[in-house]
Amino acid sequence: MNSDTYVPTVDDLRVKLCFICREEERYDAPEDPPRAWTHPCSCTLVAHESCLLQWIKSAQQDPSRARNALKCPQCGAAYELESDNPFILRLLDNVNTSLSIVGKLVSAAGLAGVVVSVGFGVYVICTSYGAYAVQEFLGKEMYNMLLTDDPSNWPWHAYINLPLVPISLVLSRTRFFDTLPLVPLFLAWPSSPPVSRPSRPSLASLNPPQPAPILAWPPSPLLVTLAFPFLTAVYRRLRARVKHWLMGTAPVPRQAVREVVWEIGDEPAIQARIGLAVDPVRQRRPAQGPQAHARDAQDPNADAAREQANAQGQAPAEAAPDEPARVAERTLRVTNASLGRFVGGALMLPAIANYMGAALLRLSRHSEILRRVLAVRASRARLVVGGWADALPGAEGGYLRQLGMGLRVALNLVAGGTRTWHECDPVWWRNSIGLGIFVVVRDCIKLLHLYLAKRELETRRVKDRPFVGVDAKELDLIYPRRAHVDV
Amino acid sequence: MTSTRRLQKELMDIQTNGTPVGIKLLSADDFQTWYFSIEVLGETVFAGEQFALKFRFDQQYPISSPAVQFVVDDKYKAPEHPHVYSNGHICASILGSEWSPVLTVIAVCVTLQSMLASCKKKERPVGNDRYVLHAPDNPKKTRFEYHDDTV
Repeated sequence: MNSDTYVPTVDDLRVKLCFICREEERYDAPEDPPRAWTHPCSCTLVAHESCLLQWIKSAQQDPSRARNALKCPQCGAAYELESDNPFILRLLDNVNTSLSIVGKLVSAAGLAGVVVSVGFGVYVICTSYGAYAVQEFLGKEMYNMLLTDDPSNWPWHAYINLPLVPISLVLSRTRFFDTLPLVPLFLAWPSSPPVSRPSRPSLASLNPPQPAPILAWPPSPLLVTLAFPFLTAVYRRLRARVKHWLMGTAPVPRQAVREVVWEIGDEPAIQARIGLAVDPVRQRRPAQGPQAHARDAQDPNADAAREQANAQGQAPAEAAPDEPARVAERTLRVTNASLGRFVGGALMLPAIANYMGAALLRLSRHSEILRRVLAVRASRARLVVGGWADALPGAEGGYLRQLGMGLRVALNLVAGGTRTWHECDPVWWRNSIGLGIFVVVRDCIKLLHLYLAKRELETRRVKDRPFVGVDAKELDLIYPRRAHVDV
Repeated sequence: MTSTRRLQKELMDIQTNGTPVGIKLLSADDFQTWYFSIEVLGETVFAGEQFALKFRFDQQYPISSPAVQFVVDDKYKAPEHPHVYSNGHICASILGSEWSPVLTVIAVCVTLQSMLASCKKKERPVGNDRYVLHAPDNPKKTRFEYHDDTV
């Protein structure tokens, strides 16, 4: 074929028939408002671009159909999509994919861990992890004071507290336990006396520990623990608002997860139904907003896809209860990757906190303000070893005085923490701040990813192709002679 | 509503051009459920038998596939075929992962007709009883694995 051979395009067709919606458009009776047509493949099929994009999107969201999404069902030619797909979105997609691969590894490792645990006892593993988490989060110094590596030194509550640490971390990521995170890590430890004191008189351990000053910086761990649920709630609400603003969606009340689908690898598989009573009337009622969210605990990909769907307002308003999108939306998809990312991510938190805290410490060398905020202290060199035995609060005075002293100690415990905590370098404080920064940054990246993905979807176009290789006689053209002569 | 408009066109096509041999429209009272009768012509194991197909459409049709199954009631039975469960559910890839909006109701009927025609031996799928016991009402909720397209 030489270069000036005329190849007809979709615009040269006398009658265009969309292979998806089966609507026709004659060249002499154009639709108003016009809809774009496209000929995306190598055969004679043509379609409305919007129909085709809708098909592609819906097919891509279904793992079993995804591989056919960008293929012509008749000639098998691959569709080419053009969209605003900036480098950063591709990067984030890749990061997401690699995290999923890591997630799969974590799942595999977790499974192996469970199998091993049956031999060694889940308890031992959870406890060791708890001890590790405490060390990461509170710092080596505190750890040596409160726990030490030798379990025979541990206070009794360590045996309850420590194994709960991994469990609480994982649960804290589910939306059922919004307020739980890190509580077992903290709650018991602020009131715990040091264990490795060589010269501690046995009597002193019966008495309340010597209080620290009430108004101290950083705030006491107990105070932080109490404020934590409040802070998280505020943060989550804020994040949701920013997200809806960015994605142009309206917040909708959450709906109960009706079904948990466990997908082992990419195999379709076991469906475990959670017998949550769903009011059949409510179920049949038209969906009010575009979507409900089975938030946080969900596979981020599915999540993004759903988000994209409602961003475009494609979600059907009067969907039937059986309609796949609605079923999917209340289905919690658990894949190896999502499970691994979920659990692995939770268990990584103490290490991340430790790392962020160390980074903050390094930064604080250059900034006096940061040093203040972090309350960096040199070391515990000036810790008074005899502090515990020095004052026995209950030893002098009448009952009233004793009561007053007791109250003061309790107040101090909440507001100031124990002396141990007060006098140590507050590693836990900078770790908490570091973790907070990490969470905010991570959420910002997630939101950016979501936003870019949405924009990519909105700017998508299917590449239109001329009818190369199709015999012009097979086509019902407006100017058949011209095409015929030219070919 | 996209599904209604497209189904209207398909119905009009059936009414003006008729249906292929062996396939008859039994009822299409609304745009949610249609019934067809289907016969396999020629020398096949199903010679002389008549079956009924039930199509259920949701509002996303043709983006989403129709739910198709053989009718099992007093009058009709599901054909004894290695891809058809005794409750009428069909394991065919074009109804699941290979569905495409280029397909029509009639195209699905023709495909299923030829699936029956190529059957050499009357038998139920492996694990039929277990599947039928736990099967959801809507076959689209089942995830079939398509491995053998030759039967």
